[in-house]
Amino acid sequence: MNKLRLAVLLLVCSYPSLAQDPRQIITEVQKRSHAESEQYQGLLQVIESGGKITDKRWTYDRIGSHGNSKAIIRFTEPAEVKGVALLIVNHPDRASDQWMWTPALNRDRRIAQQDRSTRFFGTDFSFEDLEERDVDQFDYSYKGEDTIDGEPCWKIESKPQSNHRSQYTSSLLWVRKSNYTYAAIENYRGDKLIRRLKYKNMENVQGIWTSRLLEMEDLTRKSRTILKLDSLKYNAPLKEDQFTVESLRRG
Amino acid sequence: MSPERPKWKAPVGLLALLLMPWLAPGQMFTQQGFFETDFTVYPQTAPDDSGQAISQSQVEWAPELKWGEWRFKAALDGDFDSHRMAERQFAVSYWDRGVLRPAFEVGRLSVSWAHGPLTIELGKQLVRWGKTDILIPTDRFAPRDYLNVIDPEYLAVTAARITISNQTDSLDFVYTPRMTPSRIPLLDQRWVVAPPQAEGIPLMDGGAEYPGGGQYGVRWNHVAKYLEYSFSYFRGYNNLPLLQTDYLPALGGIEVTRNYVNLQGIGADTAIPLSWVTLKAEAEYFGSKTSQADEYLLYVVQAERQWREWLFIGGYTGEYDTQLHHVLAFDPERGLAKSIVGRVSWDIDTRRSLAVEAVERQDGAGFYSKFEYSQMLGEHWRVTGQIGVIRGLDSDFLGQYHRNSFGDLIFRYSF
Repeated sequence: MNKLRLAVLLLVCSYPSLAQDPRQIITEVQKRSHAESEQYQGLLQVIESGGKITDKRWTYDRIGSHGNSKAIIRFTEPAEVKGVALLIVNHPDRASDQWMWTPALNRDRRIAQQDRSTRFFGTDFSFEDLEERDVDQFDYSYKGEDTIDGEPCWKIESKPQSNHRSQYTSSLLWVRKSNYTYAAIENYRGDKLIRRLKYKNMENVQGIWTSRLLEMEDLTRKSRTILKLDSLKYNAPLKEDQFTVESLRRG
Repeated sequence: MSPERPKWKAPVGLLALLLMPWLAPGQMFTQQGFFETDFTVYPQTAPDDSGQAISQSQVEWAPELKWGEWRFKAALDGDFDSHRMAERQFAVSYWDRGVLRPAFEVGRLSVSWAHGPLTIELGKQLVRWGKTDILIPTDRFAPRDYLNVIDPEYLAVTAARITISNQTDSLDFVYTPRMTPSRIPLLDQRWVVAPPQAEGIPLMDGGAEYPGGGQYGVRWNHVAKYLEYSFSYFRGYNNLPLLQTDYLPALGGIEVTRNYVNLQGIGADTAIPLSWVTLKAEAEYFGSKTSQADEYLLYVVQAERQWREWLFIGGYTGEYDTQLHHVLAFDPERGLAKSIVGRVSWDIDTRRSLAVEAVERQDGAGFYSKFEYSQMLGEHWRVTGQIGVIRGLDSDFLGQYHRNSFGDLIFRYSF
């Protein structure tokens, strides 16, 4: 009995130190959000600094997870950009490859590394923000504890490794202690805060805690984009050949 | 002797076949389109065209049906204008070989099937090859409507296209049973400039001699870790014509006949994303079995850089001739060669954009520049204003249009 108590005591004592290992926390975030595929319909509201609101819609399909994932985002509204699509091929060892399909021109265009800081079709998400972050592409340091919307969080700083080219020099990540999900991410260029992403309306979808409402704020432009996830499904039967440059053209 | 089949069976069967996907479960029907009206003002008159204010309208409805691995795509277009550039009689064109724009046209009608790495598309479709933006020498299956030479639109072609692709490679086979020509400027309008010796003599359309037989091409594209490249081969016809002119004393005019020469093209293109710019290059060698046809190499080298909401593109378009016959031709692709080209665009916000583009011939004989401001109004409307300036000498392809500087206002409703 004493041995059991000792084991429990050791486990309890060791928990905070393990949890405060920032890489381990992010690894756990990644593990808990793992799904073979993901599909949703996104409703975007772009709110300009003057208060003008523009609505957009896209469909999102992803196969694989994190460093090995591929995703296609396809606009369905407004009519002017309907059919515009982006293919993102993530790599575990380097930045993603991206191609954009413009139906009006009937051509695809490879998005170059230096283009990733550009806003994606008038939203406050840049092309880089649409990539999936992989734990192994960043170095982490623990920055203590904090509270976001009343929820206790770990605060972690991440910096891209040399093989991962990024527009951001560092990011601050808030991870909810209760379910190992992101509560917020702040992206910095030097000391300047460029974009802030908040994860709201958490729901357990097929066993994965998921934010159904993301809010990206561009601090430079003073505009923000709210992305609502509708018809969210994990582990739908998608195929690899649905995620090629040719499949962008096919629609 | 088998009993005669009722005559209604065939059309009803065809209709049932076409309706089958619509009636079947699991299909997804979408549609989109636009209505566009364009007002253009030319401050100067041209020798054979006194029209200085032109309006044109275009409407397109494009339904699409997805049914499992099948895609059915169509587009129906309508064109109307004040300057007799489009037909004025009700007829629906499919083959798109007329001198004028059809009043109504099947702009697209294709069915495609995809399974694993294989995609097959049959019917009228847009086939685009190449990677550069300024001039696209390898884009051999993409004829264009040049009724306005500096603002051409792509025309679809009737083709069978088979593509085999995976994450890194794609192999594209295209066969068109019938050539679709580019639509050249109208002989009595400002985008045709007669040489000085023919000034004042009416030009008359003598029709076209279209080649028989089909065209085919193959393109292999490879995506490597740090660059993307492709090689292509084309065998068919140049969609831009040689022009044969005959003086007809009885009619007191010059008859212009279009001939489309045999063409064999070998091409390559590449895109190399470097740390500061993306470098793009493309080249095609144009060979021909037709004795009158020139043989030459067209190439483009361009650099592009996106910086936040700014896009900068600059490059050079070149031509190297291996055989010249000095035959009269309408060839805006070669007309734009040996030029320095640039474009800068700025997305001011989600609704407004500015762009400036310019082309300068290397010998200074021709210059074109366009300034464009565009703004979205509400969810469906977009207004675009353009000012274009053309300067140069009569002897230069661009320069000959020096009377065609323009102002343009475009209203577009998308749905």
